[in-house]
Amino acid sequence: MGDSTPANTEETRGAGPAGASLAAAVRMHGITKRFPGVLANDDVSFEASVGEVHALLGENGAGKTTLSNILTGLYRQDEGDVELYGEPVRFHSPRDALDAGICMVHQHFRLVSPFSVAENVVLGDHRAEGRSFFVRERTIERRVAELSERYGLAVDPRARIWQLSVGEQQRVEILKALYREARILIMDEPTAVLTPQEAVALFSTLRAMADEGKTVIFISHKLNEVKAVADRVTVLRAGRTVETVDAETATLRSLAALMVGRDVQEARPLEEARHLADVYALEIEGLTVVGDRGEAAVDDVSFVVREGEIVGVAGVAGNGQRELAEAISGMRSPRSGSIRVAGRAIEGGDPREAILAGVAHVPEDRLGTGLAPSLSVTSNAVIKTYRRRSLSRGPLLALRRMRDAALRIITRYDVKTPSPETPARNLSGGNLQKLVLGREFEDEPLVLVVAQPTRGLDVGAIETVHTYLRGEAEKGVAVIVMSEDLDEIRALADRILVMYEGAVAGELRAGAASIEEIGLLMAGGERS
Amino acid sequence: MINDSLLVVVLTQAVLYGTPLLYASLGELLAERSGVLNLGVEGMMLFGAAVGYWATQRVDGSDAAVLPLAVLAAGLSGAAVALIHAFLTITLRASQIVSGLALTIFAGGLGLAAYFGNEVHLADLPAAHQFKNLDVLGLGDVAVVGPILFDQSALVYASWVLTLLVALYLGRTRWGLNVRAVGEAPASADAMGINVSLYRYVHVLLGGAFAGVGGACYSLLIAPGWVAGDTLVNGAGWIAIALVIFAFWRAELCLVGAYLFGGLSALPFALQAHDVTVTPEFLNALPYVMTIVVLVLVSTAFARRRLGAPASLGIPYAREER
Amino acid sequence: MIRLERRLSQPWWLSLLVPIGSLVVAFAIMAVVLAVSGHAPGSTFRNMIEAGFTGNGAFSATLISATPILFTGLAAAAAFRMNLFNIGAEGQLYLGAIGASWIALRLGDHGVTSTPLFVVAMCVAAAFLGALWALIPGVLKAFANTNEIITSLMLNYVAGYLLTYLIFDSASYWRDVSTLQARAFPQGKPMPTGAEWPTFGSSVVVPLGFAIGLLVAAGLWVLYSRTRFGFEVRVIADSPRAARYAGMRTRRKILAVMAVSGAVAGIGGASQIGDFSHVLDGSPQGLQAAAFGYTGIVVAALARYNPIAVCVVAVLIGGLLNAGFTLQGVDFPSGLVGVMQGIILFCALGGEVLIRYRLRVTRRGRAHADAAEAAA
Repeated sequence: MGDSTPANTEETRGAGPAGASLAAAVRMHGITKRFPGVLANDDVSFEASVGEVHALLGENGAGKTTLSNILTGLYRQDEGDVELYGEPVRFHSPRDALDAGICMVHQHFRLVSPFSVAENVVLGDHRAEGRSFFVRERTIERRVAELSERYGLAVDPRARIWQLSVGEQQRVEILKALYREARILIMDEPTAVLTPQEAVALFSTLRAMADEGKTVIFISHKLNEVKAVADRVTVLRAGRTVETVDAETATLRSLAALMVGRDVQEARPLEEARHLADVYALEIEGLTVVGDRGEAAVDDVSFVVREGEIVGVAGVAGNGQRELAEAISGMRSPRSGSIRVAGRAIEGGDPREAILAGVAHVPEDRLGTGLAPSLSVTSNAVIKTYRRRSLSRGPLLALRRMRDAALRIITRYDVKTPSPETPARNLSGGNLQKLVLGREFEDEPLVLVVAQPTRGLDVGAIETVHTYLRGEAEKGVAVIVMSEDLDEIRALADRILVMYEGAVAGELRAGAASIEEIGLLMAGGERS
Repeated sequence: MINDSLLVVVLTQAVLYGTPLLYASLGELLAERSGVLNLGVEGMMLFGAAVGYWATQRVDGSDAAVLPLAVLAAGLSGAAVALIHAFLTITLRASQIVSGLALTIFAGGLGLAAYFGNEVHLADLPAAHQFKNLDVLGLGDVAVVGPILFDQSALVYASWVLTLLVALYLGRTRWGLNVRAVGEAPASADAMGINVSLYRYVHVLLGGAFAGVGGACYSLLIAPGWVAGDTLVNGAGWIAIALVIFAFWRAELCLVGAYLFGGLSALPFALQAHDVTVTPEFLNALPYVMTIVVLVLVSTAFARRRLGAPASLGIPYAREER
Repeated sequence: MIRLERRLSQPWWLSLLVPIGSLVVAFAIMAVVLAVSGHAPGSTFRNMIEAGFTGNGAFSATLISATPILFTGLAAAAAFRMNLFNIGAEGQLYLGAIGASWIALRLGDHGVTSTPLFVVAMCVAAAFLGALWALIPGVLKAFANTNEIITSLMLNYVAGYLLTYLIFDSASYWRDVSTLQARAFPQGKPMPTGAEWPTFGSSVVVPLGFAIGLLVAAGLWVLYSRTRFGFEVRVIADSPRAARYAGMRTRRKILAVMAVSGAVAGIGGASQIGDFSHVLDGSPQGLQAAAFGYTGIVVAALARYNPIAVCVVAVLIGGLLNAGFTLQGVDFPSGLVGVMQGIILFCALGGEVLIRYRLRVTRRGRAHADAAEAAA
C-alpha cells in the first residue's frame, strides 16, 4: 500500500474487495479554512482508499476536526477541492454529504436524547423506505436489530438515548451510518469514552466494515490506537499536512515526532514514590451521591488524600467522577457519607461552604461552569474572591484592586490575553485553563480537585498545566486529578484510584501500575 | 330540562370559549416544538380577528362561501405578522422574548389591529356573516351531550380535526419526527441533514396562522363583531401560551386544557344567568390564578420528567459557532 | 451569500451608531406605511414632533406621559438584566397605586398635612406592595423553577380585577360612599390635599414623580455597575452555572431583583396617584387602560436595559404617546402609536444583531485571501 493511482474515472468507481483496489475513495486537495482569529486548515491534502482504515493523526488544534467537518458538509472550505471516487464534489450542507454516502460519528454525539434508538437512526433519512410519510416503527426496529447483529453492535432499538451508556450511544451513531449504507465513515476520537476493551471491539467492527469495501477515516491523537487499527496514517500539525505514512512500518516515536515536530520522549510514569507526611487534607468516608437520573452515581466511596499528594482518579467518563468532584466542591449534595477537609466536616451541597473550607475546583467544563464567558478576564479572575475585604469596600466593588488581582494572575500564570477586559470566551483553551488554574491557586486552597485538566490543549499547554499542578503539590496542597488520559495520570499521580460504576475498583501505587492493569479495573475486572 | 341546567350550559360554553384557545395553543405548540417561543400570540389573534371580520364585510356571497375565505384571510394575516418574528429570531438570532412582546404591541389592540380596523371602519359595521351552530345529525337535543358535542359551529368541529392532525403529525410522521428533533437538539438535526431554519420558519408561520384563526373565532363566532383595543380577545393569547406548557407540549392535552379554561371564563356569565351571585371579579380572575397554580405543579414535576419543554426552546441556533 | 459571524470585540461607537441607525430605518419604514395608507408622512411626523415636544406646553405633557413608563421601564430593565423576564410591572404598578392611596387616605384621616411626609409614605407603601406582588413570581421561580413570564403576566390580570373590585364591587376603604351619586356611580375617594405632589418649573412643568424617577435611575445604575450586588447579577445573567460554582446565592438574588423591580414599578403607581389622578381609578378607563407596564418593556428593550438610557427613551416614547393622544382623529389613526412602537423595536432588535455579529459576504466555496485577511 502506498501512493494512489492516477485518477481514472471508470476504474475508481465502486467498492472492491480489500487490498485489491488502490482506488481513492476520498481525495481532499489544497483545503484551506479560516475562522475569526484562527487558520484551522492551511493547504491540507490527503486521500483515503476504498477498503482502507485511514487515520488522521494530530494533536488537539491540528485541524483534524475542521477537515472532517468540511468533508461532511458542516463547514465550507475557503479554498481547495474534494473528490469522491474520482468525481469532484461540492457540499453545501450536511445533507449533501449524507446523500453522497459520507457519515461521521462525532466526539460529541449528535443524538436526540429523549428519542429512542430507532428514531435516532431513522432521523432525517430521506431515502426512507419508499419515501414513506409515516414512521413505521416495527420495520425500522427490525432493520436496526439486523444491523446490530451483523456488525456486533448490541443495543436495544426501543431504548431511549438517555437510558444508554456512552459506549452504547456510540454504537447508535455507527448504526446510523450503517442504516444509511454509508460508504465512507469518519470516526472522530471514538475511544475517548471507551474502556480499552471496548476500544478493541470497536477496532474489529471498523476492520469488518473496511473489509466489506467501506472506507473508514479514523481521527485520533492517540498513537498506539492509530497503529493498532489503521492501514495508513496522515499526520496533521498546526493546520498543515506533515506526511502520510504506512501504519505498519511507522513506529510510535516516529509518529510522535511527526505529530509534534520534534523528537519526544514518551511520557514516563513516576518511578519513585515521593515522601509525604501522613497528614490527611481530605477524608472521604462512605460517600454516596445521587446522579441526574436518580441512580447512585457515587456508591459508598471512601478514600483519603494527604497534604502534598497527587491522587489520580482514572476511569472512563460516566463512572461517577463528575459527581464525585461535584460533591467535594459543594455543587452536589451527597445522600450519605462524610467529607472532611483538614479534619473539619463539611455538610455538602453548598459551593460557598466548600470554598471557605479551602476546596478549589477546576471543572471539566471550563467555559460553561468555571467561567462566565461574556464577562471580562478580570471579572472571572475575582469571581470567587470579590466579596473579600481586600477586593471590596462594603457593598461597593473596589475596581482597581480587582484589576490588580487579575493582573497578578495573568502575569504569574502566563495567561495570554489582549487585555484584562477581554471577554473570557475569546481566550484559547490553554489560556482559559491557565486562568482558571491561576485563580484557584491564588486562593491558597487546601484541596484542589481538577477534572480533565488538559482536554483539548496542545502539547505546550499540557506541559505547563502539569508543571503548575506539581507545583501546587509541592506547596502542600492535596491534589485530585480526574482524567481519562491514562498517560497523564501515570505521569502526575502518586497514587491511582480507578473508578468503575461509582465505586473505587482499585487503588494502585503509581510506579506499580501498568496500563493493562488499570484498563482491566476500568472495565470492571478484578485485579490479578 | 337537563339541557338548560347550569352544568350543561357551562360545558357547552366551555367548548365554545375554549375553541379560540385551542387554535392558538395548537399553533404555539407547533412553534415551540421547533424551538421558537412566540409571545406575540395575543397580537396575532387580535389582528386575525380584525382581518377576518373585514373579509366578511368585503366579500359578497353566502355564509358558506364567505366564512371559509374569512378564516383563510385571518390565518394568512396571522402568519404574515409571525413572519417578522421568525425573521428576527431565526435568521437574525434576536431575543425571542423581546421580539414576541414587540409583536404583541405591534399587531395588537393598540397597534396594527386597531390601525387596520380604524382605516376600514370596522367598528361601525354590524356582523355581515357569522358562524352559526350546526345541528349535527339532528342530535343537538340529546340529553347532556347534545348541546355540548352536536350543536356547535363549524369552527369548533374543525378545531377537533386540527387537534387530531397535529397529534398525528408530531407523533407519527417523518416530518413530525424531524421537527421534534429540531426543537430538542438542533445541532443533531442539522448534522442529520435537516434544515433547521426551514422547519422553524414553517412552524412559526403555522403558529401565526392558527393564532389568526383563533382570533377570528371571536369576531366571527363568539362576539360576533369587532371593537378596537384589547377587549375582544382579552388575554386569551397569553392563556394559550400557558396552555402549551401545561399540556406538556402535547396536542391532545391542549384540547383538554382549552376547554377547562373556556369553562372558567364562561362561568361568570352562566352563573349570573342562573341567579347565582359570586363577585364577578373573583370569577374573572380565576382562570389566571388557575394557570399559575397548574404551572407551578407542572414545573416541579417536569424537572423530573424527561417529557417537557423542547430542550432548545428560546435559544437561537447557529451552525458555525465555534 | 451572507453569513453572520460573531464579533470578537465590540467597538464603542457601534453601540451608539446602531441604535441611531435603527431609529432612522424605523422612521423610514413608518413613512412608507403612512404613505401607503393615505396619510402624508412628512406632515404626520411634523405634527407629532410639535405635539410631543416643540408645541406650547407639549413637553410638559410629554413628561406626564413619560413618568409612568420611566418607572415601568426601569422596573423591566432591572429584572431583564438578570434574564428575569418580569412582565408584571403593569400589575405591580396597580398594587403600588393601591398601597399609596391607602396610606394617603389613612394619613389624611389622621389630619396630616405635610406634603413631604405624604410623598415619602406613599412611595414607601407603594414600593412595599409592588415588591410583594413581584415576589410571587419571584418565589415561584426561585423555589419551584416556574416560568416567571407567565406567572407575572397572569398576575397583571389578577391585579386589574383586584383594582376593579376595590372600587366597583365592594365597600372597601378606598371607595367613596359619601354621596348618593358616588354610591350609584362607583369611584374612589379623593386624596387629601396634602397628598398632591408638587411640580417644578413654569414653562416646562416637571412632575415630582419624574424627578424621583431620575433619582431611582441613578440609584439603579450605581447598584448594577458599582456594587457587589450588581457584579453577582452580571455573573448570574451570563452563566447561572458559573455563579453557583463560584458560591453565589442565586435564589436570593432572584428574590432580590424581583423585589427591586416590583418596588420601582410600585413607585410608578404612587406617582400616578400623587402626581396626576389624585384618586384610585379602578375603572377600565383608568389605570388599566394605559398599558404602562408593557410600554415600559418596550422602553427598557430600546434602552438596552441601561437605567440612564431608559430615562432618555422614556421621554422619547412619552412624546410619541402624547402626540398620539393629542392628534387622535381622522388624520392620526389610533393604532399608529402601537405600530410605531413595534416597528422601532423591531428595527432596534435587528440593529442589535449588528452589534453582536458582523455580516460577511462570501462567494460560495471560496473567499479571496485579502477579504478573509480583513475579516480575521
